[in-house]
Amino acid sequence: MSAIVAPVWRRRLFGTPATGVVTILLALALAWLAIPIIRWALIDATWRGTTRADCVAGGACWVFVKARFGQFMYGLYPQDQRWRADLTGILFVLGTAAVVFAPQRLRLKAGIAALIILPPLGIWLLGGGFGLRWIETREWGGLMLTLFISVYASLIAIPFGILLALGRQSELRIVRLISVLFIEFWRGVPIIAVIFLASLLLPLILPGGIGIDRLARAVIGLGLVIAAYMAEAVRGGLQALPPGQREAATALGLTYWKATGLIILPQALRISLPAMTNEFIALVKNTTLVLVVSILDLLGIAQASLADPAWVGMNMEAYVFSGSIYWLICFALSRWSRHLELLGRRRHR
Amino acid sequence: MKTMILTAAATVAMGASLASAQQLAPSPTLDAIKARGHIECGVHLGLPGFSFADDKGEWTGLDVDYCKALAAAVLGDAKKVKFTPTSVQQRWPILQSGQVDLLSRNSTITFSRNASLGLNFQGINFYEGQTFIVRKATNAKSAADLDGASVCVAAGSTEEKNASDWFLERNLKVTITNFQKNDDAIAAYDAGRCDAYTAGVGALAGQRAKLKVPGDHVILTQPISNDPQGPVTRWGDERWQLVVRWVLNGTIAAEMLGVTSANVDQMKASSKNSEVRRLLGAEGNFGATMGLSNDWMYNAIKQVGNYGESFERTVGMGSGLKLERGQNQLWTKGGLLFTPPFQ
Repeated sequence: MSAIVAPVWRRRLFGTPATGVVTILLALALAWLAIPIIRWALIDATWRGTTRADCVAGGACWVFVKARFGQFMYGLYPQDQRWRADLTGILFVLGTAAVVFAPQRLRLKAGIAALIILPPLGIWLLGGGFGLRWIETREWGGLMLTLFISVYASLIAIPFGILLALGRQSELRIVRLISVLFIEFWRGVPIIAVIFLASLLLPLILPGGIGIDRLARAVIGLGLVIAAYMAEAVRGGLQALPPGQREAATALGLTYWKATGLIILPQALRISLPAMTNEFIALVKNTTLVLVVSILDLLGIAQASLADPAWVGMNMEAYVFSGSIYWLICFALSRWSRHLELLGRRRHR
Repeated sequence: MKTMILTAAATVAMGASLASAQQLAPSPTLDAIKARGHIECGVHLGLPGFSFADDKGEWTGLDVDYCKALAAAVLGDAKKVKFTPTSVQQRWPILQSGQVDLLSRNSTITFSRNASLGLNFQGINFYEGQTFIVRKATNAKSAADLDGASVCVAAGSTEEKNASDWFLERNLKVTITNFQKNDDAIAAYDAGRCDAYTAGVGALAGQRAKLKVPGDHVILTQPISNDPQGPVTRWGDERWQLVVRWVLNGTIAAEMLGVTSANVDQMKASSKNSEVRRLLGAEGNFGATMGLSNDWMYNAIKQVGNYGESFERTVGMGSGLKLERGQNQLWTKGGLLFTPPFQ
């Protein structure tokens, strides 16, 4: 076995003397970069202890991350209520799994049920009311908030984006016009400006008594922008379908919505899945922009915790830790979409 | 038409409350605070010593302490305050739109802000100013002693301009070494490439804690610029402004008069100083004049402490920042901290 494998990598990495030299140079460069990082993050790092004084100079002070772990995950959410955030996360994962693994004929129903039940349930669990203690959104934070914003903004963005994409292809001129205007407007405005307007201008315009929650304003603003991007991703899928598909569906006597739901969208969404995943990954990273309106998402809480004199100077640790979590989320998302793509391609054969 | 009826109703209601509250000026902010049961205080998102959330998620710091004292004075409980972290960009709109009752977040008092933003600054709780950090070994006591020294600065920063102007004006030969970023400049200072590094007092206190041996460095107490900071309110609602201003004055007066959280009960019961007695509500009705209870400052001092206690705990010797009082010392002890009398 190894006798067969070895020549393959040898041919690729050391095929000619020139490639060999390049390979060695690159390996050296990699080592030159990686060794100090590994030394800092692992070998010279301090893992045990409770205060800054326990940390050894020169290495990472993971004691800081340990002491602040709860805040990185939940923000200022009350400690005795954090199970609610955990439960919400578990329910969302279980719900998604139930939809993914449901038998084919039940999948649509399961999906719709999950979409109707989960979002309000999540808001109730996190926010409180009906027997649970109220917890204001200003106390939410950390990874929990990053995920909350990502999931809820995409709950707005995906359906809205699909409708906009269909609207853009519509034969009714007015629907087409509204969709185009909406998409081009939101695509043309920087996200940071939208968040600013939602957070600062809205309270100035709205009459005093009406207060929409700060977080809700940011989520809706973000959702609308991403909807416009999603719409363009879905439009790509719609345009890739041969017109014969809809014509055949119409010839069979299917109505517009039936044809769209049964024939067009399942194929179009499969085609646009990679593009939609891209948008979703961008959304996860764009959630950090809420920092400008002082909503303490994962990056925000990492930054805020640097202000504690007890931990001052932990910049590297805070950013490396929060950065790796963002990377893990985005990497997992991109692997998942790749997996779905392969699945789809296999089914097509 | 509808608005007219509403206005008329409001006028009647206002008249009624005036009569019942014994000539107190109407204060929608105070009414709203009492109705909701807490003060909404806008703070900095994270500034070492001034406002930050600690390991347990509690807001702490000098600016935070002021809001706690205010809550104790207004509502009798220092815990009845909620903090809204605000970024530089959103601080004024968040106050103007009424999302917070006041800002207590390291904002420099300037003429243009006061005159054109619809904001009032209610006093000074921290005299910020640009100064220098030097090694103890250099024995420099003030910026004037830096003749012949070198200073690390970030190129093009306000600090660079202030410093070079200041030295030029005084004919002092100081080498300004430019760096691209603040972090590079402070790292170069720490590595010994310059004799001094310059920034605001509060910022230097935070940065000193990051140096290799913080104890080897001293922050010069005489600043070369003037950036006083204090709590900010909206225009209008004079009674609320009065409360914000005098609670701050009260914490300073308490230090001046020797009232601390430890001895406040004893002072209230047995002090013969009539200013102390008025401050703590043992004499006169200062609290009631503003529509608060008479033990307003008693509660604030008892629960949060006087200005000095708060300073030492958050940025001073009792904290990780070890900042000296400097200009933030009482005017009777060589600083600038001042309060009009409680008479």
